Amino acid sequence: MPRFGQLFVKLAAIAVLGVGGGLGSAWYMVEAGSRLTTRSFGPWTTWLAAGRPDADPYTRAHTARNGLLPIASTLELTFYAKTDGEGGQLQSACDYAVTVEGLDAAWWNLAAFNRRGGLIPNGADRYSFSSDSAMREPDGRAVIVVARDARPGNWLPVGAGKITLALTVQDAVMAAAVHTGGSIKALPTIRKMGCR
Amino acid sequence: MNPRLPTPMLPQSRWPNLAPPSLRVNRVQRPAPGWLRKIGWRTALGALLLGGIVHLGATLAVPLIGPGSAYQKLRELLPANTMVVVAPLQPGKQLLPFLMPDAYYGVCRYSLAGEAVSISAPLLDLGWTLSLHTPHGDNFYVIPGQQLRTTDLALVIVPGAEKSGELMPATRRAPTPSEDQIASPSEEGLIIIRAPLKGLAWKGEVEAALARAKCTPGVKS
Repeated sequence: MPRFGQLFVKLAAIAVLGVGGGLGSAWYMVEAGSRLTTRSFGPWTTWLAAGRPDADPYTRAHTARNGLLPIASTLELTFYAKTDGEGGQLQSACDYAVTVEGLDAAWWNLAAFNRRGGLIPNGADRYSFSSDSAMREPDGRAVIVVARDARPGNWLPVGAGKITLALTVQDAVMAAAVHTGGSIKALPTIRKMGCR
Repeated sequence: MNPRLPTPMLPQSRWPNLAPPSLRVNRVQRPAPGWLRKIGWRTALGALLLGGIVHLGATLAVPLIGPGSAYQKLRELLPANTMVVVAPLQPGKQLLPFLMPDAYYGVCRYSLAGEAVSISAPLLDLGWTLSLHTPHGDNFYVIPGQQLRTTDLALVIVPGAEKSGELMPATRRAPTPSEDQIASPSEEGLIIIRAPLKGLAWKGEVEAALARAKCTPGVKS
């Protein structure tokens, strides 16, 4: 009987550790990604095989689980940022300056979402800026201020809660460099200006 | 001391071949961690194997039984083989998460059950795209717009090579070689035209362009 009890405990341990560990690690790989499936540039992360028919199972699961419909990453890359340049979580209690510089040859769009990918309601009815709509500084940079209250210039309003910034860049040359591990043009910097 | 004198040899037996001093430190063998001793290495190995199987199974199952892929969400909303124009997204009324706002979308759920599907769509500028997706989200065809140049596309989606014989009835007119044909790897899928809005001044132009976009069953003669 004691041997049977010991066997039962061991089987239970196998089941708990195996199922828990397997599901936990799968969830992490699907939601956060790893070096095999994503590439990061400062606070920005992109899924390397997003939208591609030859995507790996983790990227496919990530796309399906989040209900995404990405364009093939060989043409267009979407970078997501949940933190600022210093690693702090992006949240509406703080104001951020996103400086876009060096993406002149590409078409780009910067949008603010909540963590689940939903648009954040705001009175100004403004949800994104693109290379067509952002005002430029005299030196060609576009500085977009992400803040709850109105700001002069390119103001991207956000409501309460944590924020995810999504930067879409349509540039096949950059996409090729990201896939081959080469260096790319600088992605926008995200600087915290202050918090309430 | 006379240098001519030979150096006295010492008997070999007094200088045995000693091994050089060893740098190895004899470490005390640490016992296995308490938890490993408690459950045993066989149990740990079993848990590892089971974890690997569960990990692979869960990852592969997500696209099949997940909470709702983009196609599943749109399938209920869209009639088959009809282009639906969606105005710029509003909070709470988004088609899909993380979909680029400040853009119009032309969306068509195509079905190749029985015949090919023709698409005609204009791409007015940089940022505009026409993309074709399978129900699993694979983007098997995409064409971007060009800066300050309107591109009027006319494409025909046909069943993939391995299925074309089954799905294309002989009575239907086969697409002529001049028409751009795209072989779809799946019988159903989505056609998405993304039309970014530069500003309110361009709204009329974008709406008029998307009104010309069509997605119709059959091949235009």
